[in-house]
Amino acid sequence: MASRSNRGIGAVLETWNRKLHYYLGLYFLLFIWLFSLTGLLLNHPRWALSRIPNEPNPPYERTIELPSGATDVARATDVARQLGVSGEIDWPQTTQTLGRLDFNMTYPKRATQIRVDLARKRATVQQVDRSFWSAFRISHTFSGSRYNNPGMTRDWWLTSVWVVAMDALAAGLLVMVFGSYYMWYRLKPKRTLGWIALTAGCVACGLFVFGLHSVISG
Amino acid sequence: MAKASTEKAFYRWTRDLHLYLGLFVSPFVIAFAASVFFLNHARVDVGASTSTATFRDVTIPPGIETARGREAVDLARTIVNQVGVTGEIGFVRVIRKEQRLVIPVSRPGLEAIVDVDVSMRTAAVSRRLTGLLESVSYLHKTPGPHNADLRGNWLWTRVWRWLADGTVYLVLFISATGLYLWLAIKAERRIGFALLAAGAVSFVGLLYGLAF
Repeated sequence: MASRSNRGIGAVLETWNRKLHYYLGLYFLLFIWLFSLTGLLLNHPRWALSRIPNEPNPPYERTIELPSGATDVARATDVARQLGVSGEIDWPQTTQTLGRLDFNMTYPKRATQIRVDLARKRATVQQVDRSFWSAFRISHTFSGSRYNNPGMTRDWWLTSVWVVAMDALAAGLLVMVFGSYYMWYRLKPKRTLGWIALTAGCVACGLFVFGLHSVISG
Repeated sequence: MAKASTEKAFYRWTRDLHLYLGLFVSPFVIAFAASVFFLNHARVDVGASTSTATFRDVTIPPGIETARGREAVDLARTIVNQVGVTGEIGFVRVIRKEQRLVIPVSRPGLEAIVDVDVSMRTAAVSRRLTGLLESVSYLHKTPGPHNADLRGNWLWTRVWRWLADGTVYLVLFISATGLYLWLAIKAERRIGFALLAAGAVSFVGLLYGLAF
């Protein structure tokens, strides 16, 4: 009785594992194509489609109210609000000069350089507008943070939503891959050739992930 | 009759290719997917080097201070080899005033900076060993869009470029064959189209915010 019920649960799990595989694949299809195509463009910067023009529009000046806020981020957010500019705040490499607030606001479609003279209450703004195709490519790497730059944090809501989408895609792919291992293993006639394919993939990938650590470089 | 058997054979071939090519590419997909979490959320103090060492009597190849691009990298390789560092050379920075060369070198598991004093013929090598996820993230970003003329100056970067491209082509193939295999299951068409539409709405909505 118990074994029949276990078989029933097993069959349900197997059915749902199979369904989940193509349900996730269908939901994420366009995201998979986006990251695949833009991944190719990132790896081939010489392709005509990979080029990102960076010609800025003529700069303009605006009078602003003295930005409020206790931190540079709060002040920059206030300046951006006054100027009607949105995006992820990106700080220049150099430290801020006294009496100035210089920062960039970026998102895939547009990069904006904002230079504020606090004494004169004047902001100089220069923007680079990008084509849809360039923005499409930039979206691959747009996360508002860099692991090797701990000072850089996400501060725009749309970046956070985009990062959730990227994480969800990554999690979905992992579920699809591990689910597919189970589906394949249940197909006894396909096991031998499957093992050969999987082992070849593991060796090729493992050489880079683990092998280059020690074996090749000593 | 002949048409039906051709269709069946095509279906079987597509299903088998989807399975076997999917199994082959799956470790790469795991690597790319797992590194997304690291790239999006991790914080690493890259300033903390694991070890530093100074090498003396380093042979400086003539012309390295004036060489440009790939030629400079090839000359820098002779210095990097002398101090026992292997990997992809990021670039060669010449600081003429101080008669110094700064050569960053990286590979999975290691980030090194070779700082050469040309007049003293010494090289200070600082190394930072990276963890597994950072190594996979390095591969995720390699070769990348920057310094296209220099990229691939290490054999294994060139090989990885092929594998990374191959991963993309296989993923595209597998997603296309997956679509075909799903369409063959008539009972799943309605819910499948609903999920495709839901994915398309999320995709267009996000892209609208970022790219328009």
